[in-house]
Amino acid sequence: MADAPRKRVLLAEDEPNIVESLTFLLGKAGFDVVTEVDGQAALDAVLAAPPDVVILDVMLPGLDGFEILRRLRADARGQSLKVIMLTAKGQREDRETALQNGADLFITKPFSNADVIGAVTRLAEQG
Amino acid sequence: MSKAILGTRIRERRRALGLTQAELARRVGISASYMNLIERNRRGLAGALLRSTADALALRLDELDGAAERRLLESLDEIAHTPELGALGVEADSAGELIGRYPGWARALSALAHSEREATAAARALADRLTHDPFLGETVHRMLTRIAAVRSAAEILADFPELDAGQRDRFHRIIHEESRALSEVGEALAAYFDKVDAPDRTLTPLDEVEALFDARANRFAEIEAAASGLADRIDTAAPGARRGRAQELAERELGLAVDAILDRQGEVETAPGRARARKALMGYAAAALLAPMETFGPRAAALGYDIEALAEAFALDVETVCQRLTALPEEQNVPRFGYFRANAAGTIIERRGLSGLVAPRYASACPLWVLYCAQQSPEAVIRQRVVFPSGARFVFVARARNTGLTGFGRPRHYLTDMLAMSEPDARLTVYAPDAGVPVEAVGPACRICPRRSCTHRVEDPLTG
Repeated sequence: MADAPRKRVLLAEDEPNIVESLTFLLGKAGFDVVTEVDGQAALDAVLAAPPDVVILDVMLPGLDGFEILRRLRADARGQSLKVIMLTAKGQREDRETALQNGADLFITKPFSNADVIGAVTRLAEQG
Repeated sequence: MSKAILGTRIRERRRALGLTQAELARRVGISASYMNLIERNRRGLAGALLRSTADALALRLDELDGAAERRLLESLDEIAHTPELGALGVEADSAGELIGRYPGWARALSALAHSEREATAAARALADRLTHDPFLGETVHRMLTRIAAVRSAAEILADFPELDAGQRDRFHRIIHEESRALSEVGEALAAYFDKVDAPDRTLTPLDEVEALFDARANRFAEIEAAASGLADRIDTAAPGARRGRAQELAERELGLAVDAILDRQGEVETAPGRARARKALMGYAAAALLAPMETFGPRAAALGYDIEALAEAFALDVETVCQRLTALPEEQNVPRFGYFRANAAGTIIERRGLSGLVAPRYASACPLWVLYCAQQSPEAVIRQRVVFPSGARFVFVARARNTGLTGFGRPRHYLTDMLAMSEPDARLTVYAPDAGVPVEAVGPACRICPRRSCTHRVEDPLTG
């Protein structure tokens, strides 16, 4: 186990302070983290080098999180990727859209750090 | 209200106030013998004399001439025919008796029904806003994102005591920045809800302007008086030039009278409402200059209130003629007119109410109204004889007009003007329908119409 390569997480989120906190936490939990703040750039990065887990915020400049998810699921390289959507609490439609479009999990803001790390760890182990 | 009842009403009120007939006559400024004839229902009463009699008896004009009672009767009638009350067995025929025996209860019922309608409309508008308002959705998302950032950084500070000073500073800075941004989002949200709460009486500037015209029965005596005598300063005959000249003259000479009305009234409160009301009143003033009431009134009567003949006689457009007709003084044997203007999308963009004609404030009217059919035959005046679910009969006269040349290949824009009058009033006009003219069964609007089997229904009536 000790020699196993570190798992990779791609975080697509345009709020710099959330990116900073989640990058720190995922690093502490033993993941390598790649971050993207733009939707199209995130999609390109995922398809170019598929990570173990993708965290997609719903509201991103360029392509929104739902559109990225749809395009990933429509592409052979993205069909089995583990994807977590970050949605806002109370936005029921967002959660339904996330699940319909093939998200593995959704986490609502405001989240606890333990929720995010727990979810990423669980999905990374499945993959 | 018939002449007979009016005289009796004056006598009863005078006695209740403990006035002699001679004293009342003196206060009104007529001879005691003439007052005697009025009270014995041998002479009619209208115009300025009716007004000064109402003043002398400390009654509102509509209380004296029975208009208030008529409105109350119409309102109760509408309540009795409300679809959701259908199962309650409301005795629609007893409305008159209720008003006679328990006027306070009748007024309370009418006031409650009115406030219920307003509240339902406001609730629907607010529900629409809360569900679909992009600002609200986006703001809530921003707020939750800020909270997520604060919470995540705060948890890191609590859960990782081994952080070095530089890392601790970074997460403290995040909490500081994000909590400041969060308070800005909170303020924006509070300001939004303040705005939602504010218009508790009327919802749009258009509503405010309508309330002002309603409160004055579509007539502004101050403007009429100020315009009288200025008309001869419009010294050109070309219709387009006359209109421009009237607008200039109104702005220069009648602006003060208009501003004085706006300063004194209580219906228009918001700045956009005031700007819109000023525009409407300046339009009224320009029309008063183009067709002063002292000449327009008699001419209108002589021409049977024919909108096209009047447009020709005064070199006016039909729209202005319609507006002048709604401003005719309230006198016996002078018909009362309501006016509606709709755009091609069917939205009513201007409205001058008519007592007893129930028209929706927040929705399109009944699609059967000729207001919505006239655009099929632009420029033609079309008459429609209608009956409402309450049994009230009206005559509608509508004409669609092209608003100007738009150029080859571009769609033309049409607006429809519609005059409304009660069927008894229509008999004073060229639009009097013969007995054989078919009567169209219409309603106010689907939402408040009890005609359940109507094939033109587009939405269900409001039922509990």
